[in-house]
Amino acid sequence: MKALILSALKKRRHGPALSAPRVLLATYILLAVAAPLIAPQNPYDPLQIYGWEASSPPGAAGGGGYLYLLGTDGLGRDIVSTILYGLRISLVVSITSSAAAALIGLTAGVSAAYFGKWVDVAIMRLVDLQLSLPTILVALIAIVTLGPGIDRIILALIIAQWATYARIARGVALSEVGKPYMDAARLMRLPTRRIIFRHLLPNSIAPAITLIPIEIGHAVALEATLSFLGLGVPIDKPSLGSAVANGFQYLLTGQYWISLFPGLALFGLIASINLVGEDVRRKLDPRNHAQ
Amino acid sequence: MGMISAVLGRLSQAFLLLVAMSVIGFIGIHSVGNPVFNVVNIETATPEDIRGATIALGLDQPIWHQYVVFVDNVVRGNFGTSYIYHLPAFELLMSKLPATLELASIAMLIAAPLGTALGLVAGRRIGTLFDRTLLQASVSALSIPSFWLAMMLILVGALLTGWFPSGGRGTTAHLLGQDWSFLTANGLWHLVLPAMALAIPNIALIARLSRSGTIEVESLDFTRFCRAKGLSSRRILFRHTLPNISVPIVTIIGLQFGGMLAFAVVVESIFSWPGVGKLLIDSIQLLDRPVVMATLTFVAVAFVLLNALVDLFYAVLDPRVRLSS
Repeated sequence: MKALILSALKKRRHGPALSAPRVLLATYILLAVAAPLIAPQNPYDPLQIYGWEASSPPGAAGGGGYLYLLGTDGLGRDIVSTILYGLRISLVVSITSSAAAALIGLTAGVSAAYFGKWVDVAIMRLVDLQLSLPTILVALIAIVTLGPGIDRIILALIIAQWATYARIARGVALSEVGKPYMDAARLMRLPTRRIIFRHLLPNSIAPAITLIPIEIGHAVALEATLSFLGLGVPIDKPSLGSAVANGFQYLLTGQYWISLFPGLALFGLIASINLVGEDVRRKLDPRNHAQ
Repeated sequence: MGMISAVLGRLSQAFLLLVAMSVIGFIGIHSVGNPVFNVVNIETATPEDIRGATIALGLDQPIWHQYVVFVDNVVRGNFGTSYIYHLPAFELLMSKLPATLELASIAMLIAAPLGTALGLVAGRRIGTLFDRTLLQASVSALSIPSFWLAMMLILVGALLTGWFPSGGRGTTAHLLGQDWSFLTANGLWHLVLPAMALAIPNIALIARLSRSGTIEVESLDFTRFCRAKGLSSRRILFRHTLPNISVPIVTIIGLQFGGMLAFAVVVESIFSWPGVGKLLIDSIQLLDRPVVMATLTFVAVAFVLLNALVDLFYAVLDPRVRLSS
């Protein structure tokens, strides 16, 4: 795995380091990190919001001494600030949930391969069941059962995503379990937990790890969809998806900016994550290393 | 004989899946909190009230007995009465089903032929501008969230140009005891945007599949032979390539039809299309628990059954699968 990453990095030195999607993604991350510093307004602070300036068009002068570059929403929140803060929530939710889903999925998949028998059957039946349903349906069922809230959203996304990792990790781990170093580890009577986490897991995760960036993209889209349906993050702390949803009713009456600009920001985010993710996957895929 | 055992095997697999889902659902419902408090008021209830409600809900019974009652109710479509509409939840669900089926069918009628045709043409001309454009477009169509796509369709198709209505079912006509939009011009007009929102990701998916199939089949010996025989490219494409790539396409059409039932949740709520998906979202927001349970169960079961049917159909359609079993 280490060698793979190193050779990928080496290769990268020869290829174009600055492609458009990478620059875009880096910009997004910078903006999200720096949001409190660069946003003209804190959209979570009622004292900074001027309710009578609700639904101002783009370019209107605001009471806070700055321009509403992209206008304000139905509650008077500056759209630029809403996008910047929403970006933070979208990214935190999707990165946290993808990382946790990868951890849980990989552990489950590797354990299924290591223990075999009924553990394998139980875990993989559950995985099959989940993968046979559309992700959005699994997420919907999870969120309906769990209830609202940001932590519940993260949990629902983990539930919706862990199975993909489990299936891939199990496939790789099955071929690793029979190798001599595993016999050696067992003969040394290492504790099972140590064998799984220190020996089997590191050798089985390479193909699954390349999936993480793409899955983060899926998580952003899924979170946005749930929030758009009103089942996601609470309305006073909007993510990009709920910012779009907040503006949807205004879209029909011609105040397009409330929905359109957060929507475009979301589209750019998902597109850049997916393109960079595809790139990473191609570069780390062992099958592409022959060339 | 082999055929029958294959069918039975696949059906029993689907059955086991449904049993597993019912167990998970049962555990899920019971882990969300005591259902007694859906019936009695927490603040004013006396211990007698709570005991009475517990007995009335059958929660004093052993857990396996509760599970049997739960499964029995699900099988008979008995999910309780809607808190909002005061109708049996399952009946309410069934009354919304035609609208969703109509939308999904129209979307698939657009997506299947269009996607297949685009894929055939692109696969025929790999590397051309058309091929590259189609690939890029399909990647973006598959990666954007469906609500975003639906919103853009409303923005462009309804608000900027005013060509199509932005929501609702329009005028409906009566047929077979149900109301249908596609029978009237106004209803068809209302169908255009939501059907496109459901169809576009599927066009992309089917086009990619049919493109890769075409590339594979066109490189085989029999296609070369057809060409050597002097058949026109069009005849080769439609009489020889198309049947050979049809199995995976039919499979994905079946699977995606089930997926549409799930994605209809998003599209229907945006276009105010009064189908199952909108019912689900409305019921979640109104905390109408029986309807939510009925809808989610229905969509999940429909999806599993559809998967099984597609697999069986696959066996019938593909001579290799049929003969090997």
